[in-house]
Amino acid sequence: MLQSQQSGIVLARLDDVVRWAERSSLWPLMMGLACCAIEMMATAASRFDLARFGAEVFRASPRQADLMIVSGRLCMKMVPVCKRLYDQMPDPKWVISMGACASTSGVFSNYAVLNGVDKIIPVDVYVPGCPPNPELLLDGLIKLQEKIRQGGTL
Amino acid sequence: MNNNELITRDTVPEAARSVAEKAGTPEGREMFLRADKDAILPLCRALHDDPALKYNFLSDITAVDLYKQEPRFEIVYRMYSIPDGRRLWIKTAVPTGEEVETVTSVWKNADWLEREVYDMFGARFTNHPDLRRILMPANWIGHPLRKDHPLGNEEVQFTINKDDIVPQTAFLNEHFEGMDFAEYVERGDEINTFYGAANMRKYEQEGRIVLNMGPQHPSTHGVLRVILALEGETIIDADQDIGYIHTGIEKTAESLIYQQALTLTDRMDYVAPLMNNFAYVLPIEKLLGVEIPPRGQFLRVMLNELSRIGSHLIWLGTHALELGAVSIFLYGFRDREILLDIFELLSGQRMMTSWINVGGLRDDIPEGFTDLVRYFLDVFPSRLDDYHALLTKNPIWLERTKGIGYLSREDALNYGVSGPILRATGLAWDVRKVWPYSAYEEFEFDIPTGENSDVYDRYLVRMEEIRQSLRIVEQALSKLPEGNYRIEDYKIVLPPRQRLDVSMEALIHHFLVPTHGFFVPAGDAYVSTESPRGEMGFYIVSDGGTKPYRMRMRSPSFSTLQSLPLMSKGHLVADVVAILGSVDMIMGEVDR
Repeated sequence: MLQSQQSGIVLARLDDVVRWAERSSLWPLMMGLACCAIEMMATAASRFDLARFGAEVFRASPRQADLMIVSGRLCMKMVPVCKRLYDQMPDPKWVISMGACASTSGVFSNYAVLNGVDKIIPVDVYVPGCPPNPELLLDGLIKLQEKIRQGGTL
Repeated sequence: MNNNELITRDTVPEAARSVAEKAGTPEGREMFLRADKDAILPLCRALHDDPALKYNFLSDITAVDLYKQEPRFEIVYRMYSIPDGRRLWIKTAVPTGEEVETVTSVWKNADWLEREVYDMFGARFTNHPDLRRILMPANWIGHPLRKDHPLGNEEVQFTINKDDIVPQTAFLNEHFEGMDFAEYVERGDEINTFYGAANMRKYEQEGRIVLNMGPQHPSTHGVLRVILALEGETIIDADQDIGYIHTGIEKTAESLIYQQALTLTDRMDYVAPLMNNFAYVLPIEKLLGVEIPPRGQFLRVMLNELSRIGSHLIWLGTHALELGAVSIFLYGFRDREILLDIFELLSGQRMMTSWINVGGLRDDIPEGFTDLVRYFLDVFPSRLDDYHALLTKNPIWLERTKGIGYLSREDALNYGVSGPILRATGLAWDVRKVWPYSAYEEFEFDIPTGENSDVYDRYLVRMEEIRQSLRIVEQALSKLPEGNYRIEDYKIVLPPRQRLDVSMEALIHHFLVPTHGFFVPAGDAYVSTESPRGEMGFYIVSDGGTKPYRMRMRSPSFSTLQSLPLMSKGHLVADVVAILGSVDMIMGEVDR
């Protein structure tokens, strides 16, 4: 971005401005599934303060959210619900797969847990851990912001 | 009077005389009966109704699949006489294809418990009012906890097996009736929603408003679905649909050795993981017949009570947040961070520490641990006073919680409600006092009770419980005995690292214990513990091997949640949020 000191005019590519706006105000969906949701709450609370990265506006309705943090194991009854929630989110939208269960079904490799949320929805960033520390989730978020800045690749 | 004197051939009715086997402890506080399946209903009714017996609390109904044996299913009933502190187990054998009479007419919470047995094992109950699946999707094929139901796992990929791996989707394609997995992803929500609301459809036909709440809802504490029937804004009936986080933990545990299965228990009640570890190891230690040294017991109690405080802080934060007090949420999480720092110092993990294991603890407390606990004990009481100052006399808080969600003591017992909600009805029933486990009898603490049994009283009871837990931690810290923190049987626990250089046997054990596990004598055991939500316990059935034949968790919220319609009838929609907050269920432990 180029900025003129005197006249207050900003010259930039429209793409860059849009991406800057998108990455600086991610609105996560308030969807807590399991253990990871507790760490997600801790990330949003005072010590780790997700607001520092512009992503503290947790929305309860998918219509108002553009980031889905799949926080925990995705079990069989919840699979179609998760897909529907993703479909209900307006474009552009991103997905963080938080924790081992959401990414690969983790320690629960069995009939009830889907081994990888990427089987039903596209995932942008995988965050490892069981559950991931809040720092790891923040790192995942920063990675996602970088991905948005670069136009969809890392 | 004890069980030995009370339960005789004369006290049980004619139909139940075929009680074949009877065993119990000499003092008669616990008893075990093996009854004929046709005798179950009259026997249970007599036990419940007889004024001398007073078995007014059904703790659990579960089943064991004795695959390749006949009769195939063994159904286990566990009930308590709350006034006298007596316990009774009844086991009955049910052959394949035969049914056993339901006991829903005796205890209300048998409803869901029997539905779960049906869902998981396919054993049916005659005259059950509503025998539907409860945890699995509506069109699932098979009953997962049967031994011949596949685990449905996908093997970890290595170079040697990458061509032989069957993907999980192949398994899933075959397990949904009338559709493959891709179609289930698209249409499954519709099917499950319709199936789960079966009891509420009649209100829709009457022209009433039926409101769906969840599973994606900010104040259902996870993925619970509540269906409300409304008259204007007043609730006339409610029903719950659970199973949205059924994880198959009990099935997976059957394929793991005891120490591996321990790590799964952390993830059941995930706001107090150490308590699950504790509850899980107790029945195994009972089967093994080992006695934990005092230092280990004290440390276990200390960690247990710190977990209780952590769990209550999450409850306080989210409960207040849902009713509009955002600051309490931030404060609650601020204090919980100190507790997580304590656990992280101990184990390197913030939440899922798996630190309490069979035979004691994984390791002794590290340097600096007591200082950090002492710091918490110093700063936290005044903060608790702050929360009282913010909420206890706050007019908005009082307006939202006083007189909401009343549950009478009779109903609470009939629904198998335990923990703070039962104590809010004025009954001082706490497993730590009634049947002390570990070293709880050596600690001084009170059991707070309420009077009005509403949301506000449950709030007060939990707040006071935090204070009592602080007292216990304080005592455990100041009286912490010297000595070993675990047993010295190196066939069960790992031998100390430094012995590997000098002892061949230690080297063998160091290899065998983690890879092969230890043998647990055949038999079954159940130990109750007091979790932040009520009576929690694990039922372990061992066939003498290194893996549990059956692991079952008695989940406190599973029973408590059934009383939700009773608590919410006549209140407004917004009050359901307050009531759910006061129930403080964790869906991970309800659905397992």
